[in-house]
Amino acid sequence: MTDSPSSGLSRRRFLTSSGTIGALALAGCTQNTSRDGDGGSADSGSDGLSGQVIIKGSSTVFPISDAMAEAFMDEHGSVNVTVDSTGSGGGFENWFCPGDSDINGASRPITDAEVEQCSSNDVEPVEFEIAGDALTVAVNNDADWVDCLTFEELRQIWSDEAGVTNWSDVRDEWPDMEIERYGPASTSGTFDYFNGNVVGEDTEHTTEYQPTEEDETIVQGIRDNEGGMGYFGFAYYNSNSEAVKAVEVKAENDDECTPPSLANAKDGSYPLARPLFLYVAESALQTEAVSEFIRFYLEQAETDVVQDIGYVPSSAEQRDENLEKLDEIAG
Amino acid sequence: MATRKPETGWHGENSDVNHLRGRAFEATCLALTAFGLVSVMLLLLFVANDAFRPLSADVGWLATYAVTVVVPLAALAVYYYRLDEPAGEVAYVASGLPVVGLLLTGGFAVLFTELLSVLEWFALLISLVAAAGLIVAHGRLRPKAALERLVVVLLAPVVTVFGLPPTRFNWLVTDAAAALGLDFGLYYRVISLREAIMLLPFVPTDWVMLLLTLVLPAAGAAGWFVEQRRESRRDGLAVVGLTTVAAVLGVVAGPLLGIGADVWLLVVTFAVLPLGVYVEGVLRRGEGVRGLAFPVVAVLGVVAGSLITGALGFAGPDPWLDWGFLTSATSRTAADAGIYPSMVGSVMMIIVIVLTAFPVGVGAAIYLEEYAPSQGLMGKFVTLIEINIGNLAGVPSVVYGLLGLALFIRVLQWPQGSIIVAGLAVGLLILPIVIISAQEAIRSVPDSFRQASYGMGATRWQTIRQVVLPEALPGILTGTILALGRAIGETAPLLMIGAAASVRLAPNSFFDVGSMMPRQIFSWSSELEPAFRHGVLAAGVITLLAVLLVMNATAIVIRNRYQRTG
Repeated sequence: MTDSPSSGLSRRRFLTSSGTIGALALAGCTQNTSRDGDGGSADSGSDGLSGQVIIKGSSTVFPISDAMAEAFMDEHGSVNVTVDSTGSGGGFENWFCPGDSDINGASRPITDAEVEQCSSNDVEPVEFEIAGDALTVAVNNDADWVDCLTFEELRQIWSDEAGVTNWSDVRDEWPDMEIERYGPASTSGTFDYFNGNVVGEDTEHTTEYQPTEEDETIVQGIRDNEGGMGYFGFAYYNSNSEAVKAVEVKAENDDECTPPSLANAKDGSYPLARPLFLYVAESALQTEAVSEFIRFYLEQAETDVVQDIGYVPSSAEQRDENLEKLDEIAG
Repeated sequence: MATRKPETGWHGENSDVNHLRGRAFEATCLALTAFGLVSVMLLLLFVANDAFRPLSADVGWLATYAVTVVVPLAALAVYYYRLDEPAGEVAYVASGLPVVGLLLTGGFAVLFTELLSVLEWFALLISLVAAAGLIVAHGRLRPKAALERLVVVLLAPVVTVFGLPPTRFNWLVTDAAAALGLDFGLYYRVISLREAIMLLPFVPTDWVMLLLTLVLPAAGAAGWFVEQRRESRRDGLAVVGLTTVAAVLGVVAGPLLGIGADVWLLVVTFAVLPLGVYVEGVLRRGEGVRGLAFPVVAVLGVVAGSLITGALGFAGPDPWLDWGFLTSATSRTAADAGIYPSMVGSVMMIIVIVLTAFPVGVGAAIYLEEYAPSQGLMGKFVTLIEINIGNLAGVPSVVYGLLGLALFIRVLQWPQGSIIVAGLAVGLLILPIVIISAQEAIRSVPDSFRQASYGMGATRWQTIRQVVLPEALPGILTGTILALGRAIGETAPLLMIGAAASVRLAPNSFFDVGSMMPRQIFSWSSELEPAFRHGVLAAGVITLLAVLLVMNATAIVIRNRYQRTG
């Protein structure tokens, strides 16, 4: 841009600007380069701990992990903890076992096939039980006919074997209205848990339902359809308790109907109470960022943080056991 | 001619023409247009209402701003539309220019805080200038050596920016040469100019470096422009001088007003200077001068409004989309949630796309239009390729995400969810669009231009470089910017390459894990709390839309300019 045809101009401009610059430079406008030259992006609260923690996995565990990540990053501003919800199985298969993530949240224990897949990539999963959940079966607010369901009835509704399409197929006195089923996708740990414990290992979970990875969508589906029904983690019911109606559940006909609640999940009276897990790659635990984060996580998992989100916090013994395991592995 | 009767009957002969079908068709078209526009408008109003929550303000607050801002601006707009159309255009540009300038300022501010320090930028720029100097010097010294110059053009930037390859590579070459009986003596690595500057014990302060690398070049360009327009060297120099004075004054006075020196210099470069040059142009032409009142009235109205509401104690609205939202990371509490890290991620992703898809796409378009054979068997093959590029433009974006996952993450083992992978995956997605629009632009250059150039003895390369590309460039830019607008809103590829749902640190390098705006918006949509799904989500959508609108507006302005001069 200084390639102007008249050379006098560029010389004059050069003189003007270089004169200005020279004056400024003389005024002491230099700095020592020994200052930290990282662009000054690391904000406060960093105590030297830095690195990256990648969490994938269950959408049920996601709210806990996300809250933990936020609290942890308030203290350690340079550790980048990223959280994603991919479903328990999806997380194991696509990210954790190939070695692309450090931590996988799961709403069911890891399966043998997944352990095998992980070990074929030299990923050794370490299991921590961090919280409890009361898997909640919900129906539309206007579905005043149904208050309590047995496992047998749930099995009829959620498998194709009994050929149930309408509510009246389950109990004769119920209305002749189609059951609109909404549930988690098959990559979800919630699906696996429900399939294994309610529908039964030998029975196929129905495919005649709206599967989704977003629990929010299930709630919306149930809310908007009078014949709607679905299941998801308690936290999603907890924050949507006005929108849908939770159904009481009993395992056997002789049992008592129990509503889903954190107290009932804690004392074991709710039949669909289940533990939530965190799986950490053993190699990742050797890095300081991951092991510090997990330590923080396990300590906080016993506090009200978990309760506020809508899950059962782990007990003090559980926490101590977890921390012991962590010390053993991380050293 | 007027007396000759038509031989065949025409519809007007017998007066039973039925207009009903035509009218019905027209009415249907109108209804469809109205339906589409109204539903989109309603949706946007709904989202904007959620994001800004204007109804949460006091009535007095709304009334005050209606009187100080909305009414005067509406009156001005009506006046421009009815009586002074050129002024309307001036008002449009004069209000839009500062907005775009401030957005650019924000972009560069983010660049300097997250990506590279001012010193790194300074060193990089000086090295590039040195490389350009080398190339020019070579051209002067050996004007005939074309092949040699090609080597210089390719190597000079590499050497000044990157230096010689790592030591180990040098040893390898030297050892290999020694085995052949040659002695290169390349045992030590020569560092680049860029690295040398970085190692200097004392360098100018950040603002001096910014002044040298951004403000002065921009001022020089503006000065040259004004000088050409006014044919007065003194005026050109005045622009340079005024800009420098304004920049230095701001640096000195800025701390008193709470404006950082670096930010002020960026504002001068990207907002004040372009606006000044534009205003100068308007005043010189003397056409539509009244349009300049529009931004002035807007600013005065806002100032007056804030003074009045402050004095009378009217509470403003409590919008989701506020400064805190733009500058903080996402959070579990809706009120604290922000979009900053994903905005940085989007900006860096766009940088990757511009640096990769743009050159590749334009290069391909030039080849296909100017060089590729159009006849014979090879011509058929080229046609086949062009058809396939057209098809690729229609491939669903999730497929490009899968391609990115397979290619960059599984094969190349780049970090999943990183900026570079996201940028390349989305870059692949818009590549066909860039190629097609660039082809259109190149095709629209009249063939007579090329013939004239050839007729004057120019070679094909000279014709393309001096005639075709300058003519086609505005069209190419328009198409590319529109494609970038699509790229910034893509979500599916980001999900496939594992961009995480919540990322709380802005990426510092292209290989960092990052989030992007659409990904962040998607993860808010599945949050537990309704406040996320309504408020925070809407604020995110409006932010993304604002960026998109600015990009599209830029494209339109470039196109208009092109159509007028071309």
